Amino acid sequence: MSEQTTELGHSLKTLAETLIPYIVAVVAAFVVVGIFLAALGFNVLQAYATILFTSFRTPFGFIQTLQKYVPLLLQALAFTVPLTAGKFNIGGEGQLIVGAIGAAAVGIVFAGLPLPLLLPLVILAGIVCGGFWAAIPAWLLYQFGINEILTTVMMNFVSFSLIDYVATEIWRDPAAGHPTTVPIGAGGELPLLVARPPLNSGILLALFVAVLVYVYVNRTPGGYELVATGANARASRVFGINVRTMFLLSLIAGGALAGLSGAIEVAGVHHRLIEGLQSNFLLLGIIIGLIARGNLLAVPFVAFFIAVLEVGASALQRTMMIPVEIAFIVEALILLFVLLSDVVRRR
Amino acid sequence: MVGIPIGASQPPTHNSYGSSSTGKGLSALASFPLSLMKNSTILEIKGVSKTFGSVVALDDVSLQLNSNEIRGLLGGNGAGKTTLMNVLYGLYKPDAGEIYLRDEKVEIQSPKDAISYGIGMVHQHFLQIDSYTVTENIVLGTSLKNRPTLNLDQEDRQIGDLSERFGLEVNPRALIEELPMGIRQRVEILKALYRGVEVLILDEPTTNLTPQEVESFFQSLRVMVEEGMSVVFITHKLKEALSVCDRISVLRDGKNVVTVPRSEASEDTLVRAMVGAGLEVEESLLFSETGLDQEAVEVGQKSVLRVEGLQIVNEENMPLVRDCSFQIHDKEIFGIAGVAGNGQQELVEGLMGIRPIADGQISIDGASIVGKETSDLLEMGLTYIPEDRLQDGFLPTASVAQNLILGYQRQEPYSKRGFLDWKAIFRTARKLISEYNIITPSAAEAAANLSGGNIQRLMLARAFSHPAKLLVAHNPTTGLDIRSTEFVYSKLLELKEQGMATLLLSDDLDELIRLCDRIATIYRGKIVGVLERSEFNKYELGRMMSGVEAHE
Repeated sequence: MSEQTTELGHSLKTLAETLIPYIVAVVAAFVVVGIFLAALGFNVLQAYATILFTSFRTPFGFIQTLQKYVPLLLQALAFTVPLTAGKFNIGGEGQLIVGAIGAAAVGIVFAGLPLPLLLPLVILAGIVCGGFWAAIPAWLLYQFGINEILTTVMMNFVSFSLIDYVATEIWRDPAAGHPTTVPIGAGGELPLLVARPPLNSGILLALFVAVLVYVYVNRTPGGYELVATGANARASRVFGINVRTMFLLSLIAGGALAGLSGAIEVAGVHHRLIEGLQSNFLLLGIIIGLIARGNLLAVPFVAFFIAVLEVGASALQRTMMIPVEIAFIVEALILLFVLLSDVVRRR
Repeated sequence: MVGIPIGASQPPTHNSYGSSSTGKGLSALASFPLSLMKNSTILEIKGVSKTFGSVVALDDVSLQLNSNEIRGLLGGNGAGKTTLMNVLYGLYKPDAGEIYLRDEKVEIQSPKDAISYGIGMVHQHFLQIDSYTVTENIVLGTSLKNRPTLNLDQEDRQIGDLSERFGLEVNPRALIEELPMGIRQRVEILKALYRGVEVLILDEPTTNLTPQEVESFFQSLRVMVEEGMSVVFITHKLKEALSVCDRISVLRDGKNVVTVPRSEASEDTLVRAMVGAGLEVEESLLFSETGLDQEAVEVGQKSVLRVEGLQIVNEENMPLVRDCSFQIHDKEIFGIAGVAGNGQQELVEGLMGIRPIADGQISIDGASIVGKETSDLLEMGLTYIPEDRLQDGFLPTASVAQNLILGYQRQEPYSKRGFLDWKAIFRTARKLISEYNIITPSAAEAAANLSGGNIQRLMLARAFSHPAKLLVAHNPTTGLDIRSTEFVYSKLLELKEQGMATLLLSDDLDELIRLCDRIATIYRGKIVGVLERSEFNKYELGRMMSGVEAHE
């Protein structure tokens, strides 16, 4: 009994030790940005109220936040899962785009199929194409030991040309002024959870996947091997874990997660392929993964917080004429302060 | 047993030690005429305390060091020897306490400060750049005269002079990667001498040396202190401390226990001081003088491991292990002695399926294991204690519990129907933590927070607690204190009696002689000779380790 209580006390203490640097980092980031805003002559308190509460004041704000949350969560996972094995996937953007292309292609080619057939196909196409896009750098790493950071980044650039080609040449929508494809079949659209303002069921899919990833990594021998590989690849190899396969599979899994986010953008939000649909989800995903320090339990919460900031900041631009980039500055500062807390703690 | 009784209750005596006992200490130094008249306090540590989280590493420790003195610093794991020296070297900031250098208070914030105060330290693991020459490694970080041209002729000469003066023979222009461990250590010491240190701290310096090398190393230390330097010699080898140190200080549980001049010290008193009450020294395996005469426990007849004509090469096709053949029976501990870097690591890696073999045959219970994956071998009943625990056996960011099941994560009871059973894992982990005395706040603690000795205990707990028929142990007692070493020895013998075959590679000849039924010697990847238990002889082994064939 007493042993259990001490263990509980220990984990509570660890939780507090984990959370305090975050709280300090968030407060510090807001203080620094506050000084900045005040110097520019804005009302700081009003600005912060807008940033923090827009998401919760109106149903529209909340749904917009959830909408934003889905790709952020999946992109963060696409970065974090390979990170668990010690590999850096900086190609989530390209994997999202290629996943979106795959989803849109299936949705357009088989437009006539009914929903129970077409929707799973569209989602699956996104996952497979995203996984394939990551498999190329993963294989280069497996076979030749080529640094995955370089190759995943380069694959992003290839994907930009690919989406351009698909959206302007193959399935171009002549009525649109921007490179866009014709819409996918109605059977490929994710059903809405709330009609007005619209909230598609992609969020359920994303949350389900987040739980799945968490359970796999923390509750299965395969997940253990992933964590072990990330902790010390050499020792893992000495004790019988095939670390090269771990690298390969973790990167492909990351690509599949990013591909899923692309499929949800197509099937849930746009119902077609639009150039630029990747937004800046990749960077935000990396920031979320790093702020969460790769902790898969923390990622969904950090992602939600960042979604709130993003939505709040766009409201800021509308109501107070403060540039939306302020959110990015806040996020970057939080990350900096969190990383700084590591240095302080080590002293 | 003769000697002054030293118990846990006895107050520290380091202050009560006076010059009269130094005089007595002299008589034992017959072969080294020392001018102890020059003796004066050079360094004094007063009341230093340091805690890490809830662990008290140092508790009000004081130490006073004279010039012209070799001071032994003994103590078990977690006794605080290394922590104390790291405080002195500016790596840790003490919570309390003061350091005085020639009666002047100093604040040492970093190794750079320490060196500027004339304090140098040689760590157990050296940080050297393999592709640089000896001189380049030594001058790295100092200001050079010929910075623009990087002409090091003058430095080469200077280092040559130093090495001659102190008997630390080394070629300044040799590349580090071509040097054996013994020479690399000389380089590390020269690094400190080149910077003009007056106090040299050596952390377990004899680990990688042959008995012959140890002797010449001790002579160099003598020259240093005769020239006015002071040496702090951290060790857990009592015989070495007794043979070279002028005074010996013992730490236990982060506290001063005693400081005695050599003339008053004996193995027995020092062991008692180090372990406190609770260890029967007379019955200890580690100190049993009868170990050699003892008839070995009967060796089994069944051959468990058979290695034939094993050949292992590196990327450039250079042989690292040449034509190695031996077999190990059940109930047998087979030792391999050798100076570190003579192919032991490669041999072990070949056996464990970590490194491909170029030629030869390895079989377990008659079945070939060549080309098998390490995971298959672990499942077949091989178990491994790697030498480089940090690199090869340890997951720093994972929990202690996770570390304890590395390699066994797919086996019952840890894994059931495709899912990990954390309850079972933590149950096992808690059991092993108490059984193996791993000091950690909880099984969920990050393993990176463990001290070196506790990491080693973790490696042992993992290897010993999973059923196996062949144990491959490479320096299993590195960094362990007497009590833990004792535990390892009895565990190895217990497992042997239960029928386990053991391949024991060790740099510690005493350890091999105590435990093994047969000892092979490896030199440049080749087995030089195999001695039966009745033929064991330290100097004979030492000769074979340097490449001389066994005398018939």
